[in-house]
Formats: sequence, C-alpha cells, structure tokens
Amino acid sequence: MIATLFLLAFLQIKVPDAAQIVGQPQGQPLTGQQLERRTMEISSELRCPVCQGLAIGDSPSIMAANMKAQVRELLERGYTEPQILSYFEKSYGQFVLLKPKFQGVNALVWILPLLALAAGFILVVSKAKKLETAPVKAAAAAEEPTDDPYLARVREMVDKP
Amino acid sequence: MNKTVLIIGVVIVAVVVFVLFAGLGKDPQHIDSPLIGKPAPPFALKAVGSGETIDLDSLRGKPVVLNFWATWCGPCYEEHPTLVANARVLPNVQFVGVVFNDTEDKIMRFLAERGTAYPTLLDGNGKTAIAYGVGGVPETYFINPSGTIVAKFEGPLTTEALQANLEKAR
Repeated sequence: MIATLFLLAFLQIKVPDAAQIVGQPQGQPLTGQQLERRTMEISSELRCPVCQGLAIGDSPSIMAANMKAQVRELLERGYTEPQILSYFEKSYGQFVLLKPKFQGVNALVWILPLLALAAGFILVVSKAKKLETAPVKAAAAAEEPTDDPYLARVREMVDKP
Repeated sequence: MNKTVLIIGVVIVAVVVFVLFAGLGKDPQHIDSPLIGKPAPPFALKAVGSGETIDLDSLRGKPVVLNFWATWCGPCYEEHPTLVANARVLPNVQFVGVVFNDTEDKIMRFLAERGTAYPTLLDGNGKTAIAYGVGGVPETYFINPSGTIVAKFEGPLTTEALQANLEKAR
C-alpha cells in the first residue's frame, strides 16, 4: 500500500485538485465508520459514466472505483456533500447526478409525477360525483310518460310487486 | 368515451412516444461535456519511459490533442495508428496520451510494438481523467493554444474526425 502510494506520488507531480474546482473544504474531515458510511451514501448519488444507470457505489468498473476513491478522499479532507456533487458535476455535467436538480427541463421530472397524481385525483373525484348523480337521472327518465307499448309493458312488469 | 379523457390520453401518449423516439438514436454512453469552452484542468504527469514531467501549462501556444486511453481498451488499439501517423505529420500540434489504471510495463510493451510519436503520461488513479469528465476510453479532448477545451471526441479517432476537431482548436 505504502509502495503504491509512493509510486503514485512519484508518477503524479500535479493532478487537478478539488480546491481549484470547488474551493476549500467547508465541513469536518471524516474518519472510520462515518467515512465509510458517507462514502457509500454519496456514491449512491453519483452515476457511473461507463455503466447503464448504475451508481458508482454499485458498479464494479474501474472508472467507478476511481470515482468512489475520489469521494472518500474528498470526505477525508472535509469536503461537504454539495461540494463533492458539485466537483463531479463540473466535469461530467448533471448527467452524473442520479437525483436530477430541480431546475430547467429537469424540474419536469419532479413536477410531472405530481401533476399526473393531481390529474388522476381530480378524474376519480369527478367520476365518483357522476356515479352519485347517475341513479337519480335514471329514475327521473323512468318516470317519463311513454307511448311505446313495449316500454309500458316492461315498466308494468318491473313495478309489479 | 369521454372526449376530454381521450384527448388527455392521446396528448400523454404522444409526449411519451416523442421522448422515447428522440432518445432512440442517441448513444447512452455519450456525455455532453460541460468543459467545452472552459480552461483545461491543469495537470503535470510523468511520461512513461522517459520519466520526464509534462505540465499542461507548458504546452500553451499550440493546439493540444489530449487522448485518454489504456492497454486494456480494445478500440484504443484501433485508433493508435491514426494518432501516431497524424502526430508525425503535424509538428505544430502537440499530441499527448494519458493512460489511466494501467501499468508502465504494459504501456511500454504496447508502445514498443505499435510505435509512438508523442509523450504518454500515466494517470495512476484516474484523477486527471475524472477532472476531464472522461466516461470511457478512448476519449480525446482538443485544447486551443490559449488552454481552452474546444471539443471532445468519444471513441476511436479517425483522421477525418481529428482534422475536423483540430480546426476548432487552431
């Protein structure tokens, strides 16, 4: 492990740093179980760019593993969840966020299901009201006088106790 | 059937069909890069073989073709001859290869067998690739002489695609 870290430090003189992209950490550095838990939670919110709709936390791909390692490192350094999501969004765009932001066309993802639910509710209520009034109309229609001998015969049979 | 319900149903189905149809021809792996028009994320990485440090900032002044690849990537074998051939005839363009999640000996063997005409850098843990929003390999970024990313190309490059994107970087 130490040898690998040393090799990486030797090979990489300077890599793009989060501080250049999202500024200084705004939270507390995490360690231990809290670090593991938060790494998994944030990894479940980021889309793996080489997979079909998988979060980086669920993907076995190399790219997802790299991104998850980056999430862990940023949490260790004290970066907050919004900062970390913003860090990945700056390079991958909103594509990388599994939970789309409430803005622009993406807002429709949040609004449309609520609208559909409201429309369904209105439809059910209006239909229920119609059903309530329907028997009254039928009864009213039944009382209308008729010249039709067949209908008169049917009414007579129905009314017969 | 209630006419209003029928119209609403037809509108909903039409919208869903339109959205699905619009997505039919799209590549699900394609990511629109938010970095187009933005400064290229800076990096300085060691070149495989020579050990020389290549700093992106030092490449200002000419267009840069930044190609992310790996020896475990099949299409990278396909595009490598195109990159080498073009690098040999375009001295005013700086080609740079960045390899991530790979080992130096495998890269050296790949380059020894297939030739090279530009520096290849090792991005050990993929941090540089993440900063560029690389979704898969091969992927190529075109950077203009002032250090701004002007284009991104996903998949194996052809000479035509290379020239078309280089035009944007000149």
